Amino acid sequence: MSATDLSIFENERDLTAQPGDERDTLVLSMGPQHPSTHGVLRVMLRLDGETVVTADPEIGFLHTGIEKQAENLFWQQAVTVVDRADYLAPLSNSLCYVLAAEKLLGIQNIPPRAQVLRVMFAELTRIASHLVQLGTHAMDLGAQSIFMYAFEMRERILEIMEFVTGARMHQSWFRIGGLAIDVPKGFLDKMDDFIGRFPERLSDIRAILEKNIIIMDRLIGVGKMTAHEAVEWGMTGPILRASGVAYDVRKAFPYSGYETYDFDICTRTSGDSYARFVVRLDEMYEAWRIIKQAREKFPDGPVTIDDRKILPPPKTEIQHSMEALIHHFKLVSSGFNVPEGHIYQAVESPRGELGMYVTSAGGNKPWRVRWRPPSFYNLQALRKLAPGNLVADVVAIIGSLDPVFGEVDR
Amino acid sequence: MAEVKAGRAATAALLAQLAADLGASLLDAVSAADMDEAVIVAAGLLPAVDAVRANGFNLLLDIGATDHHPLTPRFEISYHFLALPEDAVAGSIPSSGVVPARFRLRVFPDDRDPVVPSLCGRWPNADWPEREVYDLFGVRFDGHPDLRRILMPDDWEGYPLRKDYPLRGLNRRFNPGGLPGPVPPVVTK
Repeated sequence: MSATDLSIFENERDLTAQPGDERDTLVLSMGPQHPSTHGVLRVMLRLDGETVVTADPEIGFLHTGIEKQAENLFWQQAVTVVDRADYLAPLSNSLCYVLAAEKLLGIQNIPPRAQVLRVMFAELTRIASHLVQLGTHAMDLGAQSIFMYAFEMRERILEIMEFVTGARMHQSWFRIGGLAIDVPKGFLDKMDDFIGRFPERLSDIRAILEKNIIIMDRLIGVGKMTAHEAVEWGMTGPILRASGVAYDVRKAFPYSGYETYDFDICTRTSGDSYARFVVRLDEMYEAWRIIKQAREKFPDGPVTIDDRKILPPPKTEIQHSMEALIHHFKLVSSGFNVPEGHIYQAVESPRGELGMYVTSAGGNKPWRVRWRPPSFYNLQALRKLAPGNLVADVVAIIGSLDPVFGEVDR
Repeated sequence: MAEVKAGRAATAALLAQLAADLGASLLDAVSAADMDEAVIVAAGLLPAVDAVRANGFNLLLDIGATDHHPLTPRFEISYHFLALPEDAVAGSIPSSGVVPARFRLRVFPDDRDPVVPSLCGRWPNADWPEREVYDLFGVRFDGHPDLRRILMPDDWEGYPLRKDYPLRGLNRRFNPGGLPGPVPPVVTK
């Protein structure tokens, strides 16, 4: 569009004067720089006074072609780009991807230590992600200090992540066939410290927020969704559970040994923003319970499968074995081939059912990695939830839907 | 895996009904490793979806596309469904959680004029994923109320997830680092 092209203003005029409308409405463009839109969401609101008549979210500002990039990398390399989609819960993305690739390869003997560590870190990620949601959601509603409490707690988790994987975010720690490296010495002490402190910190936040009159006033009855509507709009995760449907991928289609852990599905029945808020608080406690059980059963042993065609041999072996060197060279220069086929793999990410429909054409790169991003479907329901509410409530509803735009736009 | 077996029992009835309802429109019915799936022609999509829904698959999980170029037919549109038991939706919450089933439909539209019926009349959440498939693959959805680009800018040329579209894009005004290439044909709405 050139600088003199004024057609955009004509479009806007068209939107305000809807033929057949009895009352005048105003079109308000909220975002993409608005702080409460959690990144880069633009919502075109049509307002009657201060009441929303229609809300049309516009997305795509953060589109980085992750699906296209994944098709152009070796199977193992693609772990690093799938991490970038949901940047608040990177390990959920890579867990989904490596599980899909392992199923296509027919790998079933992932060592128990790797399984336990995968579960442990997926749940740590869930707590970290829910803490960001909680902090920013409370800040949107005017409670500034909760943000600091929540981010301080998240910092402790990111410290563990950095200690183990070397990165605070985008850990890329899971590998097809196991984990990149084993945990360093002193990891269990750090975990014990975290497990010991967390419940108290969580109950602090609960005490401040759960019965807080301002929070209740702003959230109860706002953005209500019945169970049937939630199913109709394809909602998953905390939003579906807050409407009273006890669907959790970890229980329904267990992966990575989740069937061996004792945890509850947290549900509420009112289906409003407050129910979603409380479900996330409950889920953090359940995630802590899973981490605690994983710590108790923490087994010894290797963290990768013993297959030189998938994972490179250890460095010490490369130094004296020609065969190991050749394996290493082959894996680095051309990767490995995956048998032809397609598979749908889902995990319970902090935002809901994160699915990947992975197609292999038999080559050393994924032919197609199709995301089922939970935020994408959850955010779409804003068109259903926002109309009839006040403008200020739109902020509360967006916060309670918890969209992450790395994942919505990929 | 008891859950998977229970899920498979639910889809067996569906596959039988699809075979009866669709006749020649049903190209293949496979019991894949992850879930049961049916391959159908594009014209049979809406009757097939009605049968899927009548068999309890009430949640449309995902609509996605795959480009199999240079193989033909090149475009595959995949639909994933989830069946949540009606009593779970109605509010009686089993403590152990619901035991759902998944099902997949695959459609291979015509290469020269890729068009598939839209599911927007059946599920409201079909809107955005269908726009995304149109945006990135150039497959049209017949009956979609508002079929326009969703992730790429409105004036973008080409369909980035097609296999003949280069990774770094085409050399255009805003993309001097892209590869030279012909202007791709525009898929009209």
